[in-house]
Amino acid sequence: MHTFAYARPASLSEAVALLDAHGPDARVLAGGTDLIVRLRDGSAAPSIVIDVKRIAELRPGIREVDGRVVIGATTVMTDVAADPLVRRHFPALAEAAAVVGSVQIRNRATLAGNICNASPAADTAPPLLVHGASVVAEGPGGTRRIPVDELFVRSGVTTLARGELVIAIELPIPARRIASVHVRRTRRRGHDLASVTLTCGVDAAGITRLAYGSVGPRPVLVTDDSGVLVDPAASDEAKAPILEAMFAAASPSPRSMRAGPEYRLAMLRVLGRRALAEAIDRLAAGE
Amino acid sequence: MSGPRTGEGTGERIGERIGGSPARVGGVGRVTGAQQYLADLPSADALHAKLVTLDCARARIVSVDASAALQLAGVHLVMTAGDLPQPVPRFGPQFEDRPVLAVGETRYHGEPVALVVADTRELAERAAALVRVEHEVLPPVFTIAGALAADAPLVQDPSIRKPGDPLARTNVLHEHRVGWGDVDAAAAEDGLVIVENRYSFPMVTHFAIEPHAFMAAPDRDGVAVWSTIQHPNWLQKLVATVLGMPLSKVRVYAPDPGGGFGGKQHAKLEPAVVFAALKLGRPVRLVLTLEETFQAVRRAACESRVRTGFHPDGRIAFCDIEADYLIGAYADIADRVVGKGSYPAAGPYNVPAVRILARSILSHTTPSTAFRGFGNPQVNWAVESNLDEGALALGMDRLEIRLRNLARRGDAFIPFDTPADGDWQQAVRLAAERIGWGSPLAVGHGRGIALGIKSGPTTGLSYSTVRLLGDGSVIVFAGTSDMGQGARTVFAQIAAQELGAPLDWVTVVMGDTAIVPYDQQTSASRSTVLMGNSVLMACRSIQAQLRAMAARLHGVDEAQVSVDKGVVHVGDRELTVLEVLKPGLGKLGGELTGLGEVRKDAEPDHPLGGAPAFFEFNCTAIEAEVDQETGDVTLVKHVTVSDVGKALNPLQVRTQDEGAAIMGLGHTLMEHYIYDEAGRIRNLGAIDYRIPTSMDLPLWLHGEIVENEDGPGPYGSKGMSEGALLCVASAVGAAVREAIGVPIRDLPLTPERVWRAIHDTAAPTGGGEARS
Amino acid sequence: MVETFPIEVTVNGRRRTLEVAGHHSLLDVIRDDLGLTGAKECCLVGECGACTVMMDGRTVDSCLVLAVEVDGAELTTVEGLATDGKLAPIQEAFLDKGAVQCGFCIPGQLMSAQALLAEHEHPTLAEVQEGMAGNLCRCGCYQQITDAILAVAEGER
Repeated sequence: MHTFAYARPASLSEAVALLDAHGPDARVLAGGTDLIVRLRDGSAAPSIVIDVKRIAELRPGIREVDGRVVIGATTVMTDVAADPLVRRHFPALAEAAAVVGSVQIRNRATLAGNICNASPAADTAPPLLVHGASVVAEGPGGTRRIPVDELFVRSGVTTLARGELVIAIELPIPARRIASVHVRRTRRRGHDLASVTLTCGVDAAGITRLAYGSVGPRPVLVTDDSGVLVDPAASDEAKAPILEAMFAAASPSPRSMRAGPEYRLAMLRVLGRRALAEAIDRLAAGE
Repeated sequence: MSGPRTGEGTGERIGERIGGSPARVGGVGRVTGAQQYLADLPSADALHAKLVTLDCARARIVSVDASAALQLAGVHLVMTAGDLPQPVPRFGPQFEDRPVLAVGETRYHGEPVALVVADTRELAERAAALVRVEHEVLPPVFTIAGALAADAPLVQDPSIRKPGDPLARTNVLHEHRVGWGDVDAAAAEDGLVIVENRYSFPMVTHFAIEPHAFMAAPDRDGVAVWSTIQHPNWLQKLVATVLGMPLSKVRVYAPDPGGGFGGKQHAKLEPAVVFAALKLGRPVRLVLTLEETFQAVRRAACESRVRTGFHPDGRIAFCDIEADYLIGAYADIADRVVGKGSYPAAGPYNVPAVRILARSILSHTTPSTAFRGFGNPQVNWAVESNLDEGALALGMDRLEIRLRNLARRGDAFIPFDTPADGDWQQAVRLAAERIGWGSPLAVGHGRGIALGIKSGPTTGLSYSTVRLLGDGSVIVFAGTSDMGQGARTVFAQIAAQELGAPLDWVTVVMGDTAIVPYDQQTSASRSTVLMGNSVLMACRSIQAQLRAMAARLHGVDEAQVSVDKGVVHVGDRELTVLEVLKPGLGKLGGELTGLGEVRKDAEPDHPLGGAPAFFEFNCTAIEAEVDQETGDVTLVKHVTVSDVGKALNPLQVRTQDEGAAIMGLGHTLMEHYIYDEAGRIRNLGAIDYRIPTSMDLPLWLHGEIVENEDGPGPYGSKGMSEGALLCVASAVGAAVREAIGVPIRDLPLTPERVWRAIHDTAAPTGGGEARS
Repeated sequence: MVETFPIEVTVNGRRRTLEVAGHHSLLDVIRDDLGLTGAKECCLVGECGACTVMMDGRTVDSCLVLAVEVDGAELTTVEGLATDGKLAPIQEAFLDKGAVQCGFCIPGQLMSAQALLAEHEHPTLAEVQEGMAGNLCRCGCYQQITDAILAVAEGER
């Protein structure tokens, strides 16, 4: 690894000031499971690494505040996956957090870090999209909330401004429960980066939310409020064109090592169907 | 830990003896972290090395500018081919083709151009990044088709080939032709069902968890070399030759490797490290990264065409095999792999007419080398799969067709070779029973059964020394490399059994050419048989000395004394070894020493240089379920049965077999190098080269053995540890085929490939037909 | 001159004060500065688990942790499993069940096994397999490792 300056600010304002001062020459260190790999292979060569784990406002923890579940930025995947609030209100997010890498990775990787990496294959992105998550970002200009759907641009790129730091992730607890499920395609059963990720959420009003990733530059959220997809009386033939339309935004890269584009598109449909059926079951079961 | 008690007889310590499964010798160190692998050895005064390589498959080296690197304080040397003796020494077990460092041209992605040596590893890495290699990228060949094209660039300089080699101006390094009977006449017979198909086996890498590592240091007027090498004596000879030193001045230390699987058999970077150490007059250490290790070693890929003819009753009339193995830029041991691996390719069957043409084809890729199975898995995949196609065409049960053709004990199934040396039917029936062959299958499930055969060592030489010390403890000196297969434990068990010592009073010394006698190599699953017999012989020599001692002490004829399982029988009396040894040695004390020498000489007329000492035979049976929508293969049940003669340590045998089975699942389901259009490896490293994890096991996997004490090794043992890998792919492929109704002829059976086979009915994989 | 940072860390029960460079990993410092070579270097991308150690009660890939980050932490390495020369039950079980072949992955496996048993008193087979999936074994000892963990859980040792 190349050398870099290491800072461990104790306050949020100090961190923001550092980030603002250094701009693209700074990298945020939370869990490090992505950054340190990049530092080693040279794809990241910052002059300063800013360790945010001692900042009070980012401290790990998941709390319910004013009808929202607030996840501290340095909360790790292990804790996201195990949290009762997450499991009750956003089951797909718990499922996704539980498959990010291995136990060792999940003990370090943070949800915020996963989001800010903006990998199109990030497993946590589809559940966050389906559940309408936002990040709370603190920057030189103050605090703002950015819906996750407006955060992702493409691999490695978010809409965070210079000097901005994610301090928390917020998920609204909906008035109508969203029963969600997360599924993915991998090359083996053991931990693996996904070649397709997909979350499906349905609610009692018949709204179906589908978010999928790894089949384009950024994860995609599509919503159908026709009610047909969750209608038990509707046939597969009736559902198929709606699902098809929802997958129209998929454009998998032909260069991927994990799976070819034709297979991924086919799996999108298989996963979509399966996830939809499972989500409907969960809604009915009142999970 | 107490010593042997007076009067202790054979009933004691049964669990430690042959056939017991005592805890692994060296196990405690491995669970406490005390075991020192090469990279763990203290090296306070060592300098650290780093390779300089190019990010292309093939290039002409124009110039090397080390000035920026050398400017860093603490950088001692940037060594290139120009700094070596001229002409640059070349080495290799078969052809002396591999230069110590690239000369004029790099021939594979990762071939070392320079070796940087610095005070720390970090500094060496930084300096290596500063070395500027001006180079001209050249078009590489990295597929069989590419290598065989009429205008393909030659990978190897024709002048290196044997004089008069008609293939010298091609990328075909060697053609191996084996056969008997008249295949063409057989094929012309009426009424045969003939099945012909093409199959492919991917390029995969060993991925031992310990990357390769090397160290060298001047040692008075000689040199000391440390390596993760499996063949220390072979390395010693190489270094001595390259340096022009006597063997006695070259000391090779070979710490137990952290996995070898064949990838650590032959030298790779030791010569370069040795030259650097001697140049600098200081120890130099090089530890490869995992990515560099992937670039250093792999298994040969293979494309084969198999044509099998069957009589209507299922007897095989002929088998015609063409196998093209894609080997790397330097031969290493790859051509031997091709020759030996393809030799029994027709399988453990009585086939009257066989024709095998196996070719080793050079390419601008990582040099392929030995890898568990040694060329057999590649052709097994093709031949066993084709056998299934024949069974299907005949409407015959796939177990039945195998039993009908399977060689019986004593059959010369390969003429002029070692006859079938086991009751192979027994293993097959056991596997069939365990998998529930013939019982109803759930929808979406399929079953496969396959047989694997591999020739054991064809030549060999293993010396050992055993010392029975004055207190009854024992030191065994045996040059085998224990890389996890448990050789240390087996040798300790033999010595404990024969000399009556508790197992933890036996020390096994390996891995030091200065104090351990010569062993040819650790390969071909030979060590239990060859070195085991050598240790046994040494123990028997000590027993003979004990008999003489007892006869002298008790005033009887030697003929009245016998030693059995560590008990000395003098007439009707039973004495412990110690009760003879102590008085026998007398006041001056001392010890008894035994030497063992087991030699298997070459047979020059044999195509392989010798008939194998034994065969490894395995039957693998699989039940698989396929998710037709995604192509996911779930292995419901995996049975593996090996014919081992005698399990000297049953737990070790079982773990070796199950481990081999799991390794076989790798190339069957998920492993393959991915190349880009320029011949560079894209999936270097652990993120995109997938091997089985604990979650990728079959739902049920069990290794079983057949023991008929019919092997040439100690107590009737045979070699084992490769057998359970040989036919994994074939058995899984067969099960998948039954589950989806479509044959797949290319590995690995990734979900995407299986899905494609199901959904792409217009374009079946491979290319084949069955006609009668 | 590379900037170094003082860190205080408890390693296997012993408080240590070290000066570490900012870019050195925890794995580097454990092996090179503390001389604890049980944790191994293999993939360096957090896939193989050969470098697994316990940090504040949780397993981590030490190759993906910077040494500076562990200031104030409690670390356990494989060398800290045995107490007063007596092997821990999980170590005995690994030996008993034949879970050790070449042994290179074993320190990491032991740390993950220990953590798993601390988390699940009676893990199911699936929980064991999933909990151990971050530790690769090329020798293929997975079944024996699983047997050892289940044996300890069932109190066989």
